[in-house]
Amino acid sequence: MQNEIIFILLAIITIVSSSVMIYAHRPIDSALSFMVSLVSIAALFALLNASFLFIVQIIIYAGAILSLIIFIIMFLNIKDENLPDETHKNKWLMFTSIIILPFTYILIDLILRSDIQTNSKLPENFGSIKDVGLTLFSKWVLPFELVSILLLVALIGSVSLAKREEK
Amino acid sequence: MKEEMTLNLLLLCPLISASFIFLLNIVFKNIRQSIYSFLALAGSGTSAILALYVSYESYFNHKIFNSLLFTWLDIGDFNINIALKADALGAFMVLFVAPVSFLIHVYAVAYMDGDKSYGRFFAYFNLFIFFMFMLVLGSNPIIMFLGWEGVGLTSYALISFYFHDIQNTYAGNKAFILNRIGDFGFLSALMILFVEVGSYGFSFTDIFLHINNINPSTLDLIAILLFVGAMGKSAQIPLYVWLPDAMAGPTPVSALIHAATMVTAGVYMVARFAPIYNMSLDVSLFISYIGAISALFAAVIASRQYDIKKILAYSTMSQLGFMFMALGIHAYTSALFHMFTHAFFKALLFMSAGAIIVAFSHKQDIRELRGLRYSAPVIFIMMLTATITISAIPPFSAFISKDSIMSFLFASGHYDIFILAFIASLFTAYYMFRMIFVMFFSNYFLEAKKSSWFMLYPMIILSLFSIFAGLLNLPELFTGNLNISTWLNLEDKPLEISHTVEIILMLINTIAILAVIFYTYKKYAYTDKILDESEVNIIANKFYIDEIYDYVFVKSLKHFAVYIDTKISYKLIDRSINILALSYAKAGRLFSYIENGNIRFYALYMLVGLMFGFVYLYVLLRLSL
Amino acid sequence: MIKSYMILSIILFSIGTVGLISRRNIIVIYMSIELLLNAVNLSLIAISSDLGDSSAQVMSLIIIAIAASEAALFMSLFVVLFRNRASLDANLFDILGSSK
Repeated sequence: MQNEIIFILLAIITIVSSSVMIYAHRPIDSALSFMVSLVSIAALFALLNASFLFIVQIIIYAGAILSLIIFIIMFLNIKDENLPDETHKNKWLMFTSIIILPFTYILIDLILRSDIQTNSKLPENFGSIKDVGLTLFSKWVLPFELVSILLLVALIGSVSLAKREEK
Repeated sequence: MKEEMTLNLLLLCPLISASFIFLLNIVFKNIRQSIYSFLALAGSGTSAILALYVSYESYFNHKIFNSLLFTWLDIGDFNINIALKADALGAFMVLFVAPVSFLIHVYAVAYMDGDKSYGRFFAYFNLFIFFMFMLVLGSNPIIMFLGWEGVGLTSYALISFYFHDIQNTYAGNKAFILNRIGDFGFLSALMILFVEVGSYGFSFTDIFLHINNINPSTLDLIAILLFVGAMGKSAQIPLYVWLPDAMAGPTPVSALIHAATMVTAGVYMVARFAPIYNMSLDVSLFISYIGAISALFAAVIASRQYDIKKILAYSTMSQLGFMFMALGIHAYTSALFHMFTHAFFKALLFMSAGAIIVAFSHKQDIRELRGLRYSAPVIFIMMLTATITISAIPPFSAFISKDSIMSFLFASGHYDIFILAFIASLFTAYYMFRMIFVMFFSNYFLEAKKSSWFMLYPMIILSLFSIFAGLLNLPELFTGNLNISTWLNLEDKPLEISHTVEIILMLINTIAILAVIFYTYKKYAYTDKILDESEVNIIANKFYIDEIYDYVFVKSLKHFAVYIDTKISYKLIDRSINILALSYAKAGRLFSYIENGNIRFYALYMLVGLMFGFVYLYVLLRLSL
Repeated sequence: MIKSYMILSIILFSIGTVGLISRRNIIVIYMSIELLLNAVNLSLIAISSDLGDSSAQVMSLIIIAIAASEAALFMSLFVVLFRNRASLDANLFDILGSSK
């Protein structure tokens, strides 16, 4: 019961902060509300017994990525005249929401109709670092290695992109 | 092994020499003519010797030569071999085709002397012999058809040999297109034949073994389509109009292709498919009638022609008509034997004509070629020999061959055909002696260039042949024993007619012909009557057949094509296609506004598609639940 | 319970899509993409804890790693774009579709 109440609270926080994120005019507002939604998603992870993922979400998303975004926003020193002229923003948002509505409605409808059983019994240590680490290094070694290469590529790519061209 | 080599060499020698000549002609600009002559004579001479050997073996030892070169098509149970076979009929064909070709080659060496396309001529000429051998030696109809097409092609190339005059090219086109109609018939016949009995194998032997499986009406259709092919190649009504125009080529070409060999391919083909014609009697009779009408028709036209080569061309058509008459009443050997003698005397006639043309500065009109007797005595003797032969006066060879045809015609009971043939043979004597008397018996004298001995030797040899070739198939009446008939052993109808009737027929024929010759002598010799003949006459204009064909087929098709071009093609098809294309362009311009390069919009389109897809899926799901 | 997580995930995904399409600010667009990834992560982890299988958690771990590398690239892109155009308007970057 307690879990349900916490879930509903977190869900409302997430939805509201995400909506604010896509609605806010200035990027810094978006970024801050996005951070709220990320943290509440992390809390949802914890609610789902995924303790390791909860930590990862907090550290990488809320810690690293979000701070990177905010750093960039500040670094670029974005002023109001640099922002795009979004006079039709509300119309666009309405229009897209109407279009997305059938998609959302139908998926929710299908989920509600489906007969997924809730498994109350979880193994011990589920979601712990040991559990996830064992799975990662036994079944998922190759994707893990590939991700390391991807990170390297991203590193090199971002450096070479941001390099100022010499004239 | 040795047999195979013989046959292969016989076929391939002309091809090899043709290729060499072609190569030399293409690669080197100035080459001495003697090299070309040597190559051409070597090619045709070798095959002539081999052909004599083959027919010797076939005649005396009844040997059948076989040679399998390679398998052309091999699909499942069905295969077509490139295989050669010289049975009695094939050997008989090469017996006259090869030596006559060789002699005409020798003649052509002199005739074409100094021509700037000397090499090209001999390349075509040898190529022609190659295809002709392929035609007569093929062991299945496919090879025969290949040879058939090949001789058509080389014939086209040689008719339009002097292509700098556009008229010659037109003549070549005419021959080629008319032959195409015939080829269409031949090819369709082969296809039907293949559908009917192709599953048992497609060589001649296989076909004739299983011919009883075909139902009679289909067999009739096959027979008539095959004859359409023969009509085209052998210049019978209604597909004959190309032959007179084909005289546009050099005279050796006319002698070899359009008199002695290629035009007889139709006769050979009908004889080859004799089992089919033996079973469809109506079609055979039809062939006889076509032959009779062609013979008479051509003879009548020839009697009012003035161009020496045209006279001979119509004469060829007329003689071919005789052969078809004989084929139609199943007297195959008579037809083939007449073809055999015809090859000699018609080649001789054309060679004499060529010699005259060369000696008298390329004049061809007999009204201008008068009084040649003392200026060209050898040619005169040659031409006289050939003329007597073609008029079927005993004891020359054509008398025996043509008399055999006449006897068979009489014995068959179709007296209408017999009478047509009789009149045609009278006309033959008339137009041939008309030519002789006008050219040689007059009070004029025309100065001649001296003829080369290269030209005269082959003519002398051929004249001997045309006198004595008849001995080969002497009927019992003259204590002969029909050697050729025994050799060929075709499914002939036996001659059911007593010797008395035969003798009476011969006498009537001979006397009538002699009477006609006497009448012609009175009319044309030592007079200028020929100059009084009007040229607006219906016969002189060849019954306006060319004009009718032109009007009915060419003009109407042309008008139709023009109508389609201007009205239907331009107004209907072009416009609708243009409208379609323009609307595509407009639609493209419209849609290009959507492709504005903004990724957000692309995502939007994706979302719209996703939405429709989901709604569709959901409706499906709802309906199925 | 799992159904409610899934529904939340769907709603977050829809919000992310709406933001991605309607906004012209590239930084907001980037954050919308991140939101999409998070929605997927949420549903993956919900399924994982439902089945008691930690493979799905590893998957979302990998997704987070990919998101991190994406973040690095995006940031350098922002720098370059802003330096060249002095604007964050996504509509300016449309050379893909024109022959202008």
